[in-house]
Amino acid sequence: MTKRSQGFTRRRFLGSGAALGAGAGIGIGSFPMRLAVAAQPFKIGLFIALSGPASLFGPTQRACAELAAEEINQKGGILGRPIKLYPTDAGGAPAETTKSAVRLMLEDDVDLFIGSHDSATREALVATIKGKVPYIYTPVYEGGECAFNVYVIADTPPQQIHPSVAWMMKDHGAKSFYFIGDDYVWPRKSNEYARQVIAENGGKVVNEEYVPFGAPNKFEEVVTRIKAVKPDAVLITLVGADNVNFNRTFAGFGLDKDIARLSLLLEENTLHGIGADSSRNLYSCMSYFANAPGKANQEFKAAYFKKYGAKAPQLSIIGVDCYDGVSCAKALVEKAGGTNARRCMAASQGLVFESASGPWKMYNQHVDKTMYLALCKGTEFDIIKTFPDIKHGQTCRA
Amino acid sequence: MSAPRLAFDDVTGGYGSTMIVRGASGAVSPGEVLCVLGRNGVGKTTLLKLLFGFLPCRTGAIRFDNCPLGALAPEMRRRIGMTYCPQERPVFDDLSVHDNLTLTRADRRLESFRPYFARFPVLESRLRQHAGTLSGGEKKVLSFVRGLAEDQPLVLLDEPSEGVQWENILEMEAAIKEKTAQGAAFIVVEQNLAFAERIADAYLVMDQGRAVLAGVRATMDRARLLAHLHV
Amino acid sequence: MDPLVLTQAINVVYGVSTLAAVTLGLAVIFGLLGVLNIAHGEFVMIGAYAAFVAQWAGWPFLAAVPVTLLVCGLLGYVVERILIRPLYRRPFDTLVATWGLSLLLREAAKAIFGRGYHSLTIPVPGTLHFLGTEYPTYRLILIAISLTVVTGLVVWYSRSRTGTWIRAMIGNPELAQAQGISVRKLASATFVTGTCLAGLAGIMVAPLVPIEPYMGLDYVLRAFFVLVVGGLGSVLGLFSGAAVIGGVNSVISAVANATYGYFTMLVLAILVMWLRPRGIVAQR
Repeated sequence: MTKRSQGFTRRRFLGSGAALGAGAGIGIGSFPMRLAVAAQPFKIGLFIALSGPASLFGPTQRACAELAAEEINQKGGILGRPIKLYPTDAGGAPAETTKSAVRLMLEDDVDLFIGSHDSATREALVATIKGKVPYIYTPVYEGGECAFNVYVIADTPPQQIHPSVAWMMKDHGAKSFYFIGDDYVWPRKSNEYARQVIAENGGKVVNEEYVPFGAPNKFEEVVTRIKAVKPDAVLITLVGADNVNFNRTFAGFGLDKDIARLSLLLEENTLHGIGADSSRNLYSCMSYFANAPGKANQEFKAAYFKKYGAKAPQLSIIGVDCYDGVSCAKALVEKAGGTNARRCMAASQGLVFESASGPWKMYNQHVDKTMYLALCKGTEFDIIKTFPDIKHGQTCRA
Repeated sequence: MSAPRLAFDDVTGGYGSTMIVRGASGAVSPGEVLCVLGRNGVGKTTLLKLLFGFLPCRTGAIRFDNCPLGALAPEMRRRIGMTYCPQERPVFDDLSVHDNLTLTRADRRLESFRPYFARFPVLESRLRQHAGTLSGGEKKVLSFVRGLAEDQPLVLLDEPSEGVQWENILEMEAAIKEKTAQGAAFIVVEQNLAFAERIADAYLVMDQGRAVLAGVRATMDRARLLAHLHV
Repeated sequence: MDPLVLTQAINVVYGVSTLAAVTLGLAVIFGLLGVLNIAHGEFVMIGAYAAFVAQWAGWPFLAAVPVTLLVCGLLGYVVERILIRPLYRRPFDTLVATWGLSLLLREAAKAIFGRGYHSLTIPVPGTLHFLGTEYPTYRLILIAISLTVVTGLVVWYSRSRTGTWIRAMIGNPELAQAQGISVRKLASATFVTGTCLAGLAGIMVAPLVPIEPYMGLDYVLRAFFVLVVGGLGSVLGLFSGAAVIGGVNSVISAVANATYGYFTMLVLAILVMWLRPRGIVAQR
């Protein structure tokens, strides 16, 4: 492996040296513009779900990242270097993804990583990359990632849960909550945070329950229990097919009339699966919805549909986060003047960049955001409340 | 001499590339019993399987009522008038004796078996039992009755008397005689020379995959016959 | 009776009966032909997509039935002919072959319907007042249909002439052939029956679950557990396997939680494989 990669690197080095020489040769002649084109590309390893259950999001993740790269390249790339994306599968086991990361670093000399995947994979990648290359983590997550040279632009529990749960308690009169989630770190940490918020507002949690992650779950028993305790609201941290199954069963048992549901990872694809007949009284709170208001999103969508047409992959927060990630990469690297880890860490403090939802400001390796609370209307999100400038609540020291 | 019901000429075949039967020829006419004799492992069972189409013939031809059978599948040979009663696993162990008898009969009625029940009363008393619970000899009787009751022009029997009590063997002989009187032809593989001598019209003696001796019973030299049967 | 306990009891019946219905096709093919059809879940998926297509086209829900029978029947026939027939009595090879088939069908579903989730409007919405509790009407109908189909098939198998032929074919294929039964045709028909049953189960569950290319994986896994626990090839085994796997999962999920339910199910499957490798209802 090492031998092969060394050989490969040397060959590639010779090749690029020759190319540079050739480029310079022509440059001396009458085409000085060629120099810019021949500049080393800025290589970004893009970890997205190309296989496995999450591969539902793969096409959108890729399309959004490519759109961002294209826009940046038209304006001269990052520090004059055109972005080249290396989309890599992170839909399998974390160990497989770390192998890909090692290969990308050793063989392809990537300059930066962007990842839109689950937390288990993030933890494995952080341990593998060891801060050698900047790593931007993008989707919804449980908070607490403060590793050196890692930058998180994901929604955190204080951003998702604080405004939405407080709203449901104050404006909707919800006092008692039932927690149901998949059994892994994101649901457990999110629920931990939600408990605090509910206690602060004088409410109570009547039950907290998890189902095995990745198992063929069915929810008749859970729903029957919920029916028995009659909470005012259910906080759902199920993902993907489990989220669909639960909500369809919930409505099938007729609980949707009286009990509100707030799901913490409910985006356009999942809602489509839940369907119009099961989405009554169902809420979602995230920083991005495809129909979110604001000029930035209008412009982003115009560009997206111009590039990909009517058959473009469904827009959702998982996917658009990759657009934001590429945009963050450009701002970070240009502010730091390169990919030096210490300079990047320093540059990240107070970094402002353009996301698909407007300008975001980074400090403590996380970003503050505008959050939206949406009520499902059939298979559409109806944004009923906008919470501007919600703090990420993470205390990492840069 | 009438035209043969079944004639096979220079038949060669076996399992995979191993040829068990090597150039066997013979014929049986309506109303006749051809007994195939020989020591263990000389290819008698394989010959019957070749004749019934379970194994493909490498060379040679088989003609039924003067019609070449080619690669006709076993279930089709059954349809044109052949019956086969195997030596091993002669019945469906998982089915009742009743189902074993009436498996391919639309009405499932036992009327046509009454004469056989008179000969082999043991079957009638076991009708509801799974055939797997019968003794080896009883299974052979069941298989024999099932085969003969099909009333086909040609019956292939592979060691029908194996493990069967002598009085039932005698009933088998009587039943075979009754059928041949009606024009049925039989090819019977046998180890039991006493039984063979009672039913055979002609012999085909096999040794090492070849037909080494053939002839009608009346003219067969018993000493030569015995020489081929004993080691 | 306490309505909560009663509802959980119906949940158990629902879990067991639908699991039996979903497993039936796999049990038929595996029990009768000795072929472990890994693509079983994908035939369930085809049924679900047929229901989706029917709704999308504005047809009544039951229009999915002929569509499924046509697609699953035709596909089952072709698959048996070209993929399974040369591999009978080679269990590992059929395993690999049908695994490949499952990948192919999944990719085909992705290509035709996209990777995303689809959902169906429940054909019979609402809940029914049943024995003093409210229960979703469609699920009650499913319980009835599942029990009817499974018992019907069991009775047919043990009583009908074709059922007897199939038993004869399994027990002694050479003798069955000798008696004029075309083993090939019967095996082909059996395989097609199995794939069609899988498809029909897919229609039944379609309104309750997300319809997506990966949905088959859930079903083949649970159906496989049922066969492991129940024992291979016996009808009683199918029922007892479904009762144990579905029942244990539902009961533990009801009194404790789903994690324990799933955990107990796995432990049970391992124990059975270890202590009674031929299933709790061992064959004679």
